[in-house]
Amino acid sequence: MASKPTSSGRGSDGRVAFLLLALPLGLLAATLIVPMISAINISLRDIRVIGSDGPFAGLDNYARVLTDGTFWHALGISVVWVVGNAVVQTILALTAALVLNEKFPGVRVARVWIILTWIIPTVVVVIIWRWLLSPSGGMVNPLLIQLGIIDRPMGFFASGPAAMTSLILINSWRWFPFVAIMLLAGLQRIPGDIYEAAAVDGAGAVARFRAITWPLLQPTLLVLTVMGTLLSFNVFDIIWLLTAGGPAGGTETLPVLIYETAFKAYRMGDAAAMSVVASVLMIGLALVLLDRLAPKETGR
Amino acid sequence: MKRGPLGWLVLALAVLALVFLVLAPMWLVGTSSFKLPREIINRVPTWFPHSFTLQHYQKLLQTSAFPTYFLNSVLVAASSAFVTVILALMAGYAFFRLEFRGRDMLYRLIMVAYAFPSIVILIPIYLMFAKVGLIDTDLALVLVNVTFALPFSIWMMRTFFASLPRELEEAAAIDGAGRWKTVVHVLIPLLRPGIAAIAIFAFVASWTEYLFASVLIISDAKRTLPVGLSGIIGQYQIDWGLLLAGASLSVLPVVVFFAFVGRWFVAGLTEGAVK
Repeated sequence: MASKPTSSGRGSDGRVAFLLLALPLGLLAATLIVPMISAINISLRDIRVIGSDGPFAGLDNYARVLTDGTFWHALGISVVWVVGNAVVQTILALTAALVLNEKFPGVRVARVWIILTWIIPTVVVVIIWRWLLSPSGGMVNPLLIQLGIIDRPMGFFASGPAAMTSLILINSWRWFPFVAIMLLAGLQRIPGDIYEAAAVDGAGAVARFRAITWPLLQPTLLVLTVMGTLLSFNVFDIIWLLTAGGPAGGTETLPVLIYETAFKAYRMGDAAAMSVVASVLMIGLALVLLDRLAPKETGR
Repeated sequence: MKRGPLGWLVLALAVLALVFLVLAPMWLVGTSSFKLPREIINRVPTWFPHSFTLQHYQKLLQTSAFPTYFLNSVLVAASSAFVTVILALMAGYAFFRLEFRGRDMLYRLIMVAYAFPSIVILIPIYLMFAKVGLIDTDLALVLVNVTFALPFSIWMMRTFFASLPRELEEAAAIDGAGRWKTVVHVLIPLLRPGIAAIAIFAFVASWTEYLFASVLIISDAKRTLPVGLSGIIGQYQIDWGLLLAGASLSVLPVVVFFAFVGRWFVAGLTEGAVK
């Protein structure tokens, strides 16, 4: 590292850093770390009235929650949700990223505006798709019939699996451009002359993708898989506003169950216990994914 | 690399499919918000409007609480963006320009914050805010929004700090400018793209936030757009015209904002991802 001018030498750095970080880190401590510790405390108590601490209940809440089928059912639904989103988003985003990595007229504009679906509010995404999928005036049913994919209008939220599929597709529609932009960054890091060399050696487009693009994209895909898993596990609003966990619990993921337990049934202790278990699972999963799939820590 | 006619065809079809996937839903919603009610729910939907009316917008702006929700959202999102930018600049300077013990550990700790499901802190935050009287205040939403936007913003800041050669600041220091003068007159003007990227990120995140806003705000007059609009969905015998108009107007501010600074946001996203 280059030597620094004396006016901002190392001695004063520590003090300045402390002054600068006090506010941002203080806020994060107060609104992230304290609540996380507090969640553990709440999960050990029997809270009946909001604002009261409630008597200490030990692991009662955990025992009740973990022996109740609804928690495991919701966990299963969450797994389907996370995996479904990962698969659909990866396919859509990779396709989009490969397209945006090409040179064609308008590509610069496309690279910025593709993210449009991500900047609009979730509630608007919900309105858009509820209407497009609705039997009265929705465009999707007539379009699918015209294309010969279905022969009569279908209910996109009529059954659990149908609702889950619709939700995954809608959420992926919202998120795939974000993932695509990240993948595009990974693609642009691959030096163009590798492709040139491969092309000279007679490798076709598919062979080049399999031998160069796919392996070299792995580190980016890994980070995005971990990030995407955490992000989609957390998704609440789109599910809540479209199906509220229904029909018959078919789309009731863990966040939806926790929300209902806390703010509809007012069982704060149980909800906190579920959320603590969920966090442990998520952090564990993130660590395993990073450890298993990561080739080597690249540093920062 | 050279592309044959077949390559061009495949590319053109893929681009068209992509454009259709992203824009067709927006087109349908935007244009349909000007259609007469019976055309909106027609069994045979139309790609291009056959009728024109402003009645949905009139109803939205004159008889619903939409304008209140809209203003609340602007206030909350703008304040959240402002505070996030200030705090991210402070943290960014400390992390990417200063040397101090525990720097890497602190930086990692902030990034780990994302591993926790936000639903975990919802209950404690609600109970904490209830105790200190922050429930039903804009401040509660700003605090939460900044908390969620800050770690990602600091991460994005790294790219922008890295793109500025330290020599610039060193040259200013040699010219006798003190640390803060250098920051204000040299660093901050050069960081404008990064500031724009963070501002749009924090603004969009707040503009969209539903979960905490639905729990922390109680009175109708303080609702933000996502919660307010979702109330309108349930409140009426689904009035699609009204909802489509509401949806279109809710997208407008972020699109306008994005038109000005969107490219910096995408740059922050892509360049941050490779470093």
